Amino acid sequence: MKTRFSTLKCGAGWLLAAACMLAVPARGAAQQPQPDFIHDVAPILSRFGCNGSACHGKAEGQNGFKLSVFGNDPRSDFEALVLQDRGRRVMPASPENSLLLTKSASLVPHAGGPRLRVGSREYGILRDWVAQGALYEDKERPVWTSLRMEPAGAVLGFARRQPLKVYARSSDGREQDVTWLAIFHSNNPALAEVDEQGAVTTGSLVGQAAVMARFEGQIAIHQVTVPRPGAPNAFEEPPGVTDIDLLVHKNLRRMNLRPSEQVDDAGFLRRVAIDLIGRIPTLQEARAFLEDTAPDKRARAVDRLLARPEYADLWALKWSDVLRVDRRTLGHANAFAYYQWIHQSVEANTPLDVFARDLLEAEGPLTQNSAGYFFKVTKKPGEMAATASQALLGIRITCAECHQHPYDRWTQSDYHGMRAFFEQVRFKKTGAEEALIADGTPKVTHPRTKEVLYAHPLGTPMPEADPSGDRREALSHWLTSPDNPWFARNMANRIWSHFLGRGLVEPVDDVRASNPPSNPELLTLLARILTDAKFDQKTLIRAIVASQTYQRSATPNPTNGEDELNFSRALFRRLPAEVLLDAICDVTGVPEKFPGVPLGQRAVQLWDSEQQSYFLKLFGRPMRTTACVCERSASAGISQALHFMNSNNLQAKLAHAEGNLPRWQALPGGSNALVESAYLACFSRLPSEQERNAALAYLAARPGHAKEAAEDLAWSLLNTLEFVFNH
Amino acid sequence: MTPPNTPFCDGLARRDFLRIGTAGLLGMNLSMAQMLRQEARGAGSGAGPSFIYLFLQGGLSTIDSFDMKPESPSTIRGPFNPIRSKVPGIHVCEHLPEVAAVTDKFSLIRSFTHGDAGHGSADHHMLTGYRPNAAFNAGLSPNNQHPSLGSVIAQRLGARGSIPPYVCLPGMHASGSSSYLGPSAVPFVIETDPNSPGFEIPDLQPPLSIDAARIADRRGLLAQVDRFQRSVEQKANANAGELSVFAERATALMTSREAKTAFDIQQEDPKLRDAYGRSTLGQSCLLARRLVESGVRCVTINHQNWDTHSKGFVTLKDDLLPKLNLAMSALFRDLDARGLLQSTVVVVTGEFGRTPVINKDAGRDHWSRCFTVALGGGGIQGGRVLGRSDAQASDPAESPYGPEDLCATVYHLMGIPPHEEMLTQEGRPVMLTNAGRIMRDLL
Repeated sequence: MKTRFSTLKCGAGWLLAAACMLAVPARGAAQQPQPDFIHDVAPILSRFGCNGSACHGKAEGQNGFKLSVFGNDPRSDFEALVLQDRGRRVMPASPENSLLLTKSASLVPHAGGPRLRVGSREYGILRDWVAQGALYEDKERPVWTSLRMEPAGAVLGFARRQPLKVYARSSDGREQDVTWLAIFHSNNPALAEVDEQGAVTTGSLVGQAAVMARFEGQIAIHQVTVPRPGAPNAFEEPPGVTDIDLLVHKNLRRMNLRPSEQVDDAGFLRRVAIDLIGRIPTLQEARAFLEDTAPDKRARAVDRLLARPEYADLWALKWSDVLRVDRRTLGHANAFAYYQWIHQSVEANTPLDVFARDLLEAEGPLTQNSAGYFFKVTKKPGEMAATASQALLGIRITCAECHQHPYDRWTQSDYHGMRAFFEQVRFKKTGAEEALIADGTPKVTHPRTKEVLYAHPLGTPMPEADPSGDRREALSHWLTSPDNPWFARNMANRIWSHFLGRGLVEPVDDVRASNPPSNPELLTLLARILTDAKFDQKTLIRAIVASQTYQRSATPNPTNGEDELNFSRALFRRLPAEVLLDAICDVTGVPEKFPGVPLGQRAVQLWDSEQQSYFLKLFGRPMRTTACVCERSASAGISQALHFMNSNNLQAKLAHAEGNLPRWQALPGGSNALVESAYLACFSRLPSEQERNAALAYLAARPGHAKEAAEDLAWSLLNTLEFVFNH
Repeated sequence: MTPPNTPFCDGLARRDFLRIGTAGLLGMNLSMAQMLRQEARGAGSGAGPSFIYLFLQGGLSTIDSFDMKPESPSTIRGPFNPIRSKVPGIHVCEHLPEVAAVTDKFSLIRSFTHGDAGHGSADHHMLTGYRPNAAFNAGLSPNNQHPSLGSVIAQRLGARGSIPPYVCLPGMHASGSSSYLGPSAVPFVIETDPNSPGFEIPDLQPPLSIDAARIADRRGLLAQVDRFQRSVEQKANANAGELSVFAERATALMTSREAKTAFDIQQEDPKLRDAYGRSTLGQSCLLARRLVESGVRCVTINHQNWDTHSKGFVTLKDDLLPKLNLAMSALFRDLDARGLLQSTVVVVTGEFGRTPVINKDAGRDHWSRCFTVALGGGGIQGGRVLGRSDAQASDPAESPYGPEDLCATVYHLMGIPPHEEMLTQEGRPVMLTNAGRIMRDLL
């Protein structure tokens, strides 16, 4: 037995003598290649879930039999099958008795149950493979080069079924139907489910889903579109549409949806102020805007807001989350220096490509080149590569550190090729000063094959050698080029998502083949606006906020109440923790005092995400331990509701003698002026007649308790959905 | 796997269930009224099983407490001696004398194992029954890739009356949340320490200056000015609907006499408070009992500092074991005296045990290959030992059990079939337990 093992181990094309006689089925099998592990067996192990992370693919294997997860390491899988367990798994002399067959058909007890039937096509292949000697790889046979699905997309009604076909192209130019071996996955099963045979079934939801087929490291996508049923809902292009609107409308027509009306002036001002500077308008700003009759007042308001210093505060906060200004890891002084670099970049309106280059190429003394703290907070080259990919390209490559990405094409070579760019990074201390240095010629090897990997960006072929000098320059040059397939698109998508509440790719930092954009043409347009403007963020922002799409009302029409994907109406977005707290301070006129921070500094301006604050913690401020935008939580809970209703802090602000309420009560115009002021300050609008009467009646019913009644009114307005949401 | 559209035992077809599971994500599939109806269906009445999960975060050294090895060399057995307990044959650490007096009320699994020696991921495994996958980020809070036991219980059984079904204290463990089960299964979190002098729930009561009449007035005015409440906009935005649900819950909680009573630990007899121990651990256990008594279905106590790497024996002897001794024994005695033990499952464990070999700092490091879990009440027989560890407590010698089995057993005792399905955000069906086995030898 020993001999057989060792022979098998070293000879991939080796054929067991005994098996020769069993091999070759009668039907003209002369043209049939001998089945091998790589081409015939491995796809079956993947297709039937044997190497899944819940089965034999988990780290410790299952019942003593371990496969690499998703078939990442075929050589070791082959050895596990053929060499381990005293040869009982694969027995060429008695193929039907091999555990590979008896277990997978559940003829002997198998915790995973029956995975395939005796007599099925896959059973036959496994049997023939065993019988013919369990060959590892026939190198003469072609390799898979691409995958496609037929049809590539479909427009379906509710409860419809659409079978899909999957074809794999191989290096000899031939195509083969591999539907039966493909693994299917829907990114929105509520809208369109896909079964194991590749048949899509729609539910009763309107929208889009991407159905992915995976086969041997290749991926293909089928796009399912389920339009709203009913009579076609044609609408004319209204006057003043922008290029952005035309593409949104094109998609809405396809989905049989009609866009909502345009938002009124008050709604626009509050929305755009929150989005641009993280503040709700003051009552003076709101009143002036409402009274302004100039036709271009919205555009002028945008110009004014873009020039405000709070613009930099808000966007510095956003980048501080993603680039991880993490005081716990960096320490106070370093985190503050890192934050200041971000803030100054935003304040100077540094083009996004320059910003990314400054970040990726930071070197020298950290006090002068504080972008270098990025490499302090990410610590290891692999984490630097993964964080930079996620933050700047929106691509998550961490999966590929250990195995092929299950939902994308990234392999370990891609991950470690990216890591190689950062291997030179080190820190040198001279006295109190620390400097980032990137030099030397460190080598990176593939963790499994041990072959040397030279630094190369995602999706590019590996060069013959590492770039000379600081390798990061080559990466940043590639990354910030206008032709880069991801950078401009990801920046554009992040900006779009900020203003519309949802990315065209969602989440914005999970760009994958299996997570396609909901409106690809629009994403291309947005990226082009950005690159045409030489990565000036404000140009793209102007284009977005000037669109009718951004300026839509949140009120649904009969067609779009269930649509959250196609930008047919404005979505409700809960104010981020810091913005919400600042809004409460602005309405009440009583600033929040944070421990150790000068009075008057607003929550949006805090650089330290560890700053002690029950409110900010409760409302989902991120910890900044990763680049993931998911760290910032907008989720709600009972404790938040309790806080808004009962917090002593809020009551103290309402009752403050030098706050806004006493000021508004002292205005000429009496209760009416108070009510109008409160409405303008909270919602940037005047009360409706009904609301005005309700408020006035409340105040009038409490003579002698005017102060308390005013507090009650403000409390009520702050507790509305209208206040806590941007809409 | 359940075939499509096969009704679950609660009468929901799979497709309906799928929509509930993803409602928070897609927002448009389930109206708030439907969601509340769904919860109402789950809501039971009256008594029924409860669950207290006492989680000793950092990793209780079970070789120094519940599975001592006095015959092993001094490099392993440590400085503590075993003592006899109420149940002949069961010995526990000399620093747990009160616990020794109540070993008839709970059982020990001495062959518990899961093989993950990292805090964050082992915590997740123990608190959810699922080992996290590669994308796990322990630094997130919540970091749940799968719902915690409490969230599953809350979602399946719903609230009893006006008190939340699932409470975490003090604070929430990062793996204590609901993941894809959505907002209705998120715990109510008590952030403050029940042992603090004027302990109360933050914001549960209005400021002192606002009396009840004024609260009612404010609420009345709010109802008139909250124009998006019950509006088409709210219907079209799931997050607005959720906020309204939480506001309703918060109001119910504020006005709930049950909740007010449950949280008011000051009402307890000072002698009983002393018996539990005037520590965070002790008073958390006491508060847990009060909560269970008032109808909470799951209380998770997350007690920290059990990661005894250096000077571990000193810490255990002087600080941790004395606190556990009082808290755990008082909890079992008190539940039993009130007739609640029959209906309350109590689990006491860390995320793993500690190395058999003592390290150079007079402590022990992480050991997940074998440790002991204590559990009792709710139908679990007391005074039993399930499984056995080897001579040095380094591996199970027989009948290994894992977090999956613990979950299956707890769900079973709570009346929840452990092999039902939940759906992830991607719509993937996931069993409540990852092929866990009900530990019938304990029942």
